[in-house]
Amino acid sequence: MKYSDYINSVHFKHKSISYNLLTKNSSDNKKIKVTGQQAFNLIKPYCTSRIYEQMKAVIPLALYLVLFQFFVLQYPVQDFLALLGGLIAVILGLAVFMEGLSTGLMPFGTIIGDNLPKKASMILVLIIIGILGVGVTFAEPAIGALQAFGSSVDVNKAPYLYEILNNWTLPLVLMVGAGVGIAAIIGTIRFVKGWSLKPLIYITIAPVIILTIFAWFDPNLRSILGLAWDCGAVTTGPVTVPLVLSLGIGIANAAGKGDSSLSGFGVVTMASLFPIMAVLILALFVSFSISPEQIIESAKNMSNVVVTDQSILDQTPFVEIILGVRAILPLVIFLMFVLFIVLKSSLPNRLITIYGLVLSIIGMCIFNVGLTYGLGAIGTQAGSILPAAFMNIPISDVSPIYSEIVGFVIVIIFAFLLGFGATLAEPALNALGITVQNLTNGAFKKSMLMYSVSIGVATGISLGIAKLIFSIDLATLLLPLYAIGLILTFFSSEEFVNVGWDSAGVTTGPVTVPLVLAMGLGLGNAVSAIEGFGILSLASICPIIAVLTMGIIIQIKNKFAQNEDESDSIDPNLVTEKEL
Amino acid sequence: MSERNITYLTNACLITCIVEMGSAEKVLEAAKNSGAQGATINYARGTGIREKLGLLGVTIDEQKEIIRVIVSEEQSEIVFEAMYLAGDLDKPGKGIMYLSELDKVATYIPDTVIKNLK
Repeated sequence: MKYSDYINSVHFKHKSISYNLLTKNSSDNKKIKVTGQQAFNLIKPYCTSRIYEQMKAVIPLALYLVLFQFFVLQYPVQDFLALLGGLIAVILGLAVFMEGLSTGLMPFGTIIGDNLPKKASMILVLIIIGILGVGVTFAEPAIGALQAFGSSVDVNKAPYLYEILNNWTLPLVLMVGAGVGIAAIIGTIRFVKGWSLKPLIYITIAPVIILTIFAWFDPNLRSILGLAWDCGAVTTGPVTVPLVLSLGIGIANAAGKGDSSLSGFGVVTMASLFPIMAVLILALFVSFSISPEQIIESAKNMSNVVVTDQSILDQTPFVEIILGVRAILPLVIFLMFVLFIVLKSSLPNRLITIYGLVLSIIGMCIFNVGLTYGLGAIGTQAGSILPAAFMNIPISDVSPIYSEIVGFVIVIIFAFLLGFGATLAEPALNALGITVQNLTNGAFKKSMLMYSVSIGVATGISLGIAKLIFSIDLATLLLPLYAIGLILTFFSSEEFVNVGWDSAGVTTGPVTVPLVLAMGLGLGNAVSAIEGFGILSLASICPIIAVLTMGIIIQIKNKFAQNEDESDSIDPNLVTEKEL
Repeated sequence: MSERNITYLTNACLITCIVEMGSAEKVLEAAKNSGAQGATINYARGTGIREKLGLLGVTIDEQKEIIRVIVSEEQSEIVFEAMYLAGDLDKPGKGIMYLSELDKVATYIPDTVIKNLK
C-alpha cells in the first residue's frame, strides 16, 4: 500500500496515554460518578433499541388494519387520537415489560431452576413448579385480554359464557393457571424421565375431546367451547414459556437428562391442552351450580342497579394499574418465597433485579391501558366494520360495498394476510425455526418451518372468520381438524411431533392474541353471532397440521432419495412406518 | 502427499474486539470491507463497569460477542480503526478492543499464492 493511501484512509486523530496513569488510584472499587451527558448516552440506545423492537411488531399490523379499513371498507378510523395513544401505550408497555422480564423475573427463574433440585426433594420441586404455573398465567399479558372483553358478550344468547367472563373471571384465570401448572409438572417429569411426547398427546387430548363433545350436546354450554379452546392459545406467551422452560431445563440438567436436543419441547403443547380441559371443567361446574335463567335474571338486575355507582377505582388509569399489580405481584412474592425461604439464598445484583421487577409491574400497567385503548379498540373496530364488505350494516353508509361473494372473498383474503404477516413477524417463530433447522440437520429448513406455520395460522384465522360469518359450529371444525392432527401425529417421527405441536403455542404472542380476540368479538357482534371466540383455537391447530404434513413430506422424500440411491424396491411408506 | 511442511506467516497482528451481543455483525462487516480476510466470533459474558455503575448498569448488556481478526501488520491500523468506528466504541458502554502482535501464524496457503509472490 502506498503511504499516501494510508494517510487518506486514516482520518481520525490519534492520541496515546499510558494505562498506568489510569490505574494509579483504582484500588478502591468505588462507584463511578456519571455526568448527565454520559448517562444520556448510555440510556438513549438502551431505550431506543427496546422500543424499536416492539414497534416492529405493532406498527405494521396496526397500519395494515387501518389502511384496509380505510381503503377497502371505505370507513374512516374512529377515535384516531385515542387509538394512537393506545398503540403507543402498547409499544411502551411491552418494551418496559419485556425488559423487566429479562432483568427481573428471568434471573429468579434461572437461579431457582439451577439450585432447587439440589436442595429440595422431587415432590417439593414439582409442587413449586405447579404453583409457579398459576403465577405465570396471571402475569401473562394476553390473559388480560380475556378479562377485558368479557362485557361484550350478550347474556341472552350465551348465558354461561357471560357468567364465566363477568362473574367468574378469577376462577377462570385460576383454572387456566392450574392447567398450566399441571402441564408444567408433567412437562418436567417428561424432561427427567425422557418420555415420548406422542402418548402424552393422546392421553391429554382424549379427555379434552370427551369434555368438548359433552359440552357440545348441551345447547347452553356449547357457547363456552370457543372460550375454552382459545384459552389454550392465550397461555403460552412470553412469560410462561421462558420461565417454565428455564426451571424445567435446570431440573433436567440436575437429573442428568438435559442433553437431549428435544428437552425444551413439549411443555408448550401440554400448557395449551390442559387449560382447555380446566376451563371445560369449570364450565361444567358453573352449569351445575346455576341455571341460565338465573344468570339472565341477575344480569338484568345488575345493569339496572350498578350503573350510577362507579367508584374511582373502576376508572381508566386505576383499574389498569390494579390489574397490572395483581398480575405480577403474586408471582414475584412466590418466587421470593422460594428463593429466600426454601433455598435460603439471596439475590445476586439486588438493585438491578428490583429495578427489573418494578419495570415489569409498570410495563404491565401501561400495556393494560394500551390493551383497552389500542389493540382492543382497533381490533373491535376492524371486526365490526368487516361485514360491510358483503352485507348491509348500520354503521357504514356505503355497505354492502361489494357483492356478497366478492366481499366475502375479500374478508377471507384480509384475514389470511393478517394471520400470515403477523405470524411471520413473530420473533419467537424465527428462534424456533433456527432450533428446528439444527435439530433436523437441515432437513427441515428454517424458512420452510416459518412458512408452514404462518400459512397454518393464516388458514386458521380465515377459517375462524368464516366460522363467525356463516355461524358454523366450532366443534364441527375443531374435532375433525384435531382428528387429522392426531392421525398425522401417529405417522410422524418424534422430532416433528415435538416441533409441530409446539409451533402453535409459540406463535401466539401478546400483540396478535388481543388483536385477533377483539376482532373476532367485534365481527361476532356485527354479524350477530352467538360468540366471537374460537379464532385462536383454529389458529392453533392449523399450524400443527401444516408442520406435521410438511414433516411427513420430508420424511417420504428422504426415503425416496435413499431408495433411489440404493436402487432398492421397498415401498417408501412401509419403510416410514417401520422406522416409527 | 509424501512431504508435509509448515509455512509460517510473520508480520501478523491479532485484533480482538469485545462488543455487546448483537453488534458483532456490523463490526465484522467493517473489518471485511477494510481488508480483513476472516474472523472468529464467540459469545461471552462481561463484567466490570456494569457493577460499578449501580442502576445505570442495566443499560450495558452482560452478554458479549468477541470478534477476533488476524490481519497483516500493514492492514492493522486501518482495520482496527474501521472496527472501532463501526462498533461505536467511542460511545460509553459499547465495548473494548485491542491489537496484539503475533509471533507466527500458520494455516493452509495455496501453492499458487506462494508462487505468485516470488
